[in-house]
Amino acid sequence: MRIHYDWRLARVVDSDGEVFDELNWSPKRSVRALADRLSDLQSGRMSPEARTLSKRFPDAEVNGMAAMSDLDWPELEAEEQEMLSEAAAILAKRGVADAAADLDRRLDMLSSAAIELRSSWTTSEARCIEWAGLFLSEADLDGQRREIPAAVAEAESIDAAAAALDVATPAHQPEQAEWVALNGHAVGVVALAERLGVAEAATRELARQYVPTLSMLVGPLGASRLVVLAGGRERLARMPSGSLQVLGARGAMAAHRRGAPSPKHSPVLFSLPQVSRSPRWVRGKIARYMAGKCSIAVRVDHFDGEPWGEERIAEINQECENIRERFPKPPRR
Amino acid sequence: MARKPVKLAWGVRREGRSLWTRNAVRGVSVRGERRKTDSRIEWRAWDPTRSKVAAALLRTNGDPSRLLPETGSTCLYLGASFGSTVSHIHDQVCGSQNHHGGQVVAVEIAPRAMRDLSELSCHRPGLVPVLGDARQPQTIAPYIRSQADWMHQDLSIADQAKTFVRMAGAFLRPGGTGLLSLKAASERLSDGDDDSRFAKAAKILQESDLEVIERINLKGLEEQHVVFFVRKTIHSG
Repeated sequence: MRIHYDWRLARVVDSDGEVFDELNWSPKRSVRALADRLSDLQSGRMSPEARTLSKRFPDAEVNGMAAMSDLDWPELEAEEQEMLSEAAAILAKRGVADAAADLDRRLDMLSSAAIELRSSWTTSEARCIEWAGLFLSEADLDGQRREIPAAVAEAESIDAAAAALDVATPAHQPEQAEWVALNGHAVGVVALAERLGVAEAATRELARQYVPTLSMLVGPLGASRLVVLAGGRERLARMPSGSLQVLGARGAMAAHRRGAPSPKHSPVLFSLPQVSRSPRWVRGKIARYMAGKCSIAVRVDHFDGEPWGEERIAEINQECENIRERFPKPPRR
Repeated sequence: MARKPVKLAWGVRREGRSLWTRNAVRGVSVRGERRKTDSRIEWRAWDPTRSKVAAALLRTNGDPSRLLPETGSTCLYLGASFGSTVSHIHDQVCGSQNHHGGQVVAVEIAPRAMRDLSELSCHRPGLVPVLGDARQPQTIAPYIRSQADWMHQDLSIADQAKTFVRMAGAFLRPGGTGLLSLKAASERLSDGDDDSRFAKAAKILQESDLEVIERINLKGLEEQHVVFFVRKTIHSG
């Protein structure tokens, strides 16, 4: 005895194909109701008719796929086919709209925007400093670095910029058009810095909500990068920690496949002071230890565990310290 | 260089090295492809460097029309992406306003691609967009009207062959045509070089109830890709 069903009807069929019982979906069908019904069926639930029949025939085996291969299964009528297409279109639209509820996608956009802003800011800022420095030969490009873009952006002329920075006026003046370009570039750098700050602050806030434990361990920006690189929090949580350790080290992994030694850590883990400020020969060990802890942290976050406290983080940092002390000297070759 | 068009099916023809399908929506290109009108029928160019099905039609050793679905049939397309290939299949299977009464179920997991696909389906009756995981039969079963006469799978996942066997088992009718596009780079690295990866996939297909009719290498149109052309065996009795 088996129960076959689709969205229209459910049937109890025996092994010879004889129909014992049949229930149809009510004649008052609507496209909206069908869309809800399809989405239930898609997630593996039975249709209400199939449920009723399985109560009537508790021994029957329920098979949602069997209508496919059942030769006696009624074909879709033109009207039903029309309805199915409309419902499918509604569901597709609904699915597209629901993508915005996915925090993985939101974090991806936010974190990627912040990363791209940072990379364009570094390029533009360096150009702005060099450009202004070319004219303002007296300016201290290291000490006054932070002030230069703002000073150039707000000045009316290169002389005014020199005055604002408290340095001698330049020996050679830029052309008017050249100055306008330099000034505009500096305005852009200042605006870019502001946008970068906003984007990073928003990323931090979202990461602290979404992956609180991992954020405490590797910082909210690092945590969001790990999640984005893995393609979502769930995938990061299910990832072996050996993969997490090299997540983002694409070039090094490609070289590794061609025979180079394996990478010790990804750029994300390297950005941690525990790793980058340690001597070369313990970085791999600390990265491996931290990757293990990151794996546990993201699992705590994803599978609704108790978020770690400051104490736990301090213990982990202490352990990094211990590893470093255990290997004070580079290994002998 | 004008060549005489060769008719491959109702809505598909070949002119020299280019393929054309009978445009189901007059005056509209899906992805900016060329259109031309020939005795009041509008044809839309089917770019073989962008569509693996089109590439397979040009590269097959046998009769290319064997690879195509019949007009008015039920088709399943797994991994529909933004829908450019799907639109050409729809041209052939459904025609304008679905006057052939065909059904093309297009499954795609990415909402970004689904956005374009659902827009496409608004103008093309008979095309059913499904947002969901193409590896799970239950996400597709509610939408498809009967067993499929033709199916194509093009997913960027490892172990495509296994998935294909499972999905063909569930959805393809006995005697139905299946196409599996396989990309070497998507398969597991541990399986050796490209050839051995393809060979492994071929073995998986042969051990199922699918008969591999041809392994079509798309070299020159799509590097490191092959299309397996299979037919589901009809069990006697």
